Amino acid sequence: MKKTLYGALGALATAMVALTQPALADGTLRLAIPSNINTFDVAKTKLGEEYILNFLMFSGLTEVDGKGGVKPDLAESWTASDDQKVWTFKLRPGVKFHNGRELEAEDVKATILRVMDKATGSTARVNFDVVDTIEILDKTQIRFTLKIPYAGFAEILGDRQVRILPRDKMDTVATEPVGTGPFMFKAFRPGDRIELVKNPDYFIKGEPKLDAITIRIMPESAAQVSALSTGELDLVWSLPLESLEQFKGSGDVVIDSVPTSTWDGLIMNSAVPPFDDARVRKAVALSIDKAAMVDFALYGEGTPTHTMIPPSHPYYNSELPLRQQDLAQAKALLAEAGHADGLKVTLYLPNGRPTRERMGVAAREFLKEVGIDAELQRVPWDKFVKEIEGKAGFYADGFYSRPTTDTSVYPFYHSTGSWNTQLWNYKNAEVDKVLDAARASASSDERAALYKKFQALVEADPAGAIPYVQNHVNAYRKNVKGFHSSPMMWMDLRQTTVN
Amino acid sequence: MTLYFLKRLIGIVLILFVMSLLVFGITQIMPGNVATILAGQFADASTVAAIEQRLGLNDPAYLQYWRWFSGVVVGDFGQSLVMERPVLPLILEAFASSAILAGLAFVLVTVFGITLGVVAAVRENRFSDHAVSVFSYIGISVPEFFWGIVAILVFARYLGWLPSGGAGNLNDGVLAWVSHLVLPVITLTFTLIAHVSRLTRSSMIDTLRSQYVRNARAKGLPEGHVIRRHALRNALLPTITVLAIDVGWLMGNIVVVEAVFSYPGIGRLLLFAIERHDLPLIQAGILLIAAVYCFANLIADILYGYFNPKIRYGHAAS
Repeated sequence: MKKTLYGALGALATAMVALTQPALADGTLRLAIPSNINTFDVAKTKLGEEYILNFLMFSGLTEVDGKGGVKPDLAESWTASDDQKVWTFKLRPGVKFHNGRELEAEDVKATILRVMDKATGSTARVNFDVVDTIEILDKTQIRFTLKIPYAGFAEILGDRQVRILPRDKMDTVATEPVGTGPFMFKAFRPGDRIELVKNPDYFIKGEPKLDAITIRIMPESAAQVSALSTGELDLVWSLPLESLEQFKGSGDVVIDSVPTSTWDGLIMNSAVPPFDDARVRKAVALSIDKAAMVDFALYGEGTPTHTMIPPSHPYYNSELPLRQQDLAQAKALLAEAGHADGLKVTLYLPNGRPTRERMGVAAREFLKEVGIDAELQRVPWDKFVKEIEGKAGFYADGFYSRPTTDTSVYPFYHSTGSWNTQLWNYKNAEVDKVLDAARASASSDERAALYKKFQALVEADPAGAIPYVQNHVNAYRKNVKGFHSSPMMWMDLRQTTVN
Repeated sequence: MTLYFLKRLIGIVLILFVMSLLVFGITQIMPGNVATILAGQFADASTVAAIEQRLGLNDPAYLQYWRWFSGVVVGDFGQSLVMERPVLPLILEAFASSAILAGLAFVLVTVFGITLGVVAAVRENRFSDHAVSVFSYIGISVPEFFWGIVAILVFARYLGWLPSGGAGNLNDGVLAWVSHLVLPVITLTFTLIAHVSRLTRSSMIDTLRSQYVRNARAKGLPEGHVIRRHALRNALLPTITVLAIDVGWLMGNIVVVEAVFSYPGIGRLLLFAIERHDLPLIQAGILLIAAVYCFANLIADILYGYFNPKIRYGHAAS
C-alpha cells in the first residue's frame, strides 16, 4: 500500500516537473538579476541591474570596450579639433527607433541636454559639465563645443546614462522604453520579471542572435544557484562571490570571471584628525596586506592594485612595486606622528555591502598589529551616505567601474573633483597638475605616462588604502554560447545564443 | 448589529488616518530623502536641491501631507517617485499576488492548526500529542528564511520537483502556476501553525474536562459527536482571536518569504519603497496592510458572536 502511494507521488512529481517548465521558444535566454529595477529611464539609472537594460534596449553614440578603447555605435565616425575642444559626430544613416521612427541628430541633442539638466538628476551630469554648446549641422551630424580641451569626450558618450532616446518619448521612457538597441521591451512585472524580444530592424545585420530574453528578479542567492543548477535559468549575472564554491567542478555550469575597475577602499578623511596627518594615512596603508585582503574579502576573486586603475589596464603602472605590508615602518611613522602609545579610531562600515564589511573586519586585525585599535561600527546605507561619507574620519567605501580613466580618477583625486570633498578631502597640487594635463592630452602615450605618474604620486602620499579591484563573475549553463563577462559589469548579448 | 458595524467601520477609517500621519511623520524623520536617493551617491548638493524642487519636497510638511491626503480622498494615490508610474495598479497587482499566497497559507494554518490541536488534545500526553508539539515547535522556533532556503535546496535543487522561486503565469497552465506557490505556502504555514495548534490544544483540553462535556458523554453521545458538536465549538473561541492576530504575523513573515522565493508581492514592494523613501508607495502599501489587519479583527469579532451568542453585539443579543 505504502509503496504504491510513494510510487504515485513520484509519478505526480515527475508529471509536475514536466508541466511546470513551460515550453519556451528556441533562442530565449533566461537570466537572473538580484534586485528590482527602479526605472527604464536611462538618464536616471544608478544600479548595475538597470545598466544591463540600458545596453540591451538602447544604443549610445559610441561604445567603450572596457579596455581603454572606444568604438562606433550610433555614430559611425567622429573628429576632434586639434585642441580637443570641438567634436563632430556623424550618425549611421537609417537607424530606426523601436517605434519605427528614424534617428536624427535632434534626438542626440535632446538626450544630452536632458542629462545636463540638474532637475533630471542624472549621475552622468557632472561628466558633461565640459560641454559649452551643441549644434545640429544636418540630420545626421552634430557638433559639441567644449569649455576645456577634453580628450576623453568620445568615451563619455558611451556611458550608461547617455543612451540615445527619441526626443518625443522622453516623458514616458521610464515605463515604456523605446530605444535603438538590439532588443525591444515587451513586459515588466515589478519584482518578478522583465521580458524583451529581438529587434528585427537592429542596425547591425545578423544581430542579435537570440529571439527573446527573460530577466528574472531573484534576490536570494540560494534560489539563483538552485535555479541555475536545475536549468530553470541559463545565466546568473554577478553571482555573489560567496556562492562560487558551489559550482567549482560542476559539469553543467561555466564560471566566467573578469577583472574590473570596481574598487573598495579604506577611506581616510584628511579633514579629520588623526588622518589630517599624512604619516598616519601612510601608516594605515602600510599595515594592510593587499593579497590577504583579496582572499578574505573577495574569496580570491580580485587583484591587488595601487589605485582604481586596474592591473589589467594599459595605464596601470607596472614598474611601480605594489605596496607591501611593512609593520615596522608603519609603527615608526605612527611614533613620529606622536602616536607611539597607540591610537583609537572608529571604522564605519556600510551595512549590506558584504565585501566592504569583510574588508573592514580584516583591516581591524591588520591595524591591531601596529597598535591602532579600530572599533567597527556598521551603519545603515542611508545614514552612511548622509552622515558618514565625506564627514567621518575613517570608513570603508567603494565604487563601480566607470567607462574612462578620467571619470574613474579625476572626481576622486583632483582637489576640485566632484567626489573628493564627499570622500576624503584629498589635496595634492602635483596630482592636480597631472590629472588636468591627462584629460587635455590627445595622445594615448602621453596620457599613459601621466596616469603612471599619478599612481606613483598617490603611492607616496596616500589618500586612503585601496587594496584591490574586484572581479565580476557571471555563471552560465553550457548551452549558452558566445557570452563574455564585461569588465564594466554590463551585458552585451548580441552575439549570444542558447540551444 | 448594523450600528455596531458602522461604529467599527468609522473606527477603522480613523485608525487608517492616524496610521497615514504616523508613516508620514516617520518618513520625515528618517535620514535622507527620496531626492538624495534619486540623485545617487555622486550627486552634489545643487542636483539634490533641483530634484527636491521638482518633487516639491521643500514645501512645509503639512502642505506635502495635504497634497497626498487630498488625492487619496478622491482615490488618487499618486505616482511612485522612483518608478514614475501610478501607485495604485502597482500596489494592487502586488497585493493580489500576496493575497493568494497569504490566503492559501491562512487556510492551511486554520485547517491543519485546528485539526492538529484537536488531535493533540484528544490524545493528550500520548505519542501523537508529543509529535504534534515537536512538529509545531520546530516550525515556529526557526525563522522562515531558513526553512525557505531548506525547502529550495531539497525540493528544487536536489529533487527537482518544484521551481526555485518566482511567480507562475496562468497562461503557462494551472499546474505551473500552482507549482510556484507550493514552497512559499508550505514555508509560511509551517512557521505559523504552532500558534493555532498550541492554543486549540490547550483550550480543547480545558473544554474536554468541563462539566457539560462530561454530561454529554454521560448521556451516551458518541465521542466523535461530543468532540465536534459540543467541545470544539466552544474551544474555538480563543483560536479565532489568535487567527486574527496571525493575519498580522502572516503579513510580517510574507516580506521574508517573498524575498527568499523571488515572489513579486506587497512585502517586497514595500521593502523596495522604504529603501528608496518613496513616500506615496510606502503610504499606500502600509495603509492596505493596516486595512487588511483591521478587517481581519472585525471579522474575528463577528465570528465570535456567531460561535458564542452570549457576547453578541448591539441589540442582536437581546
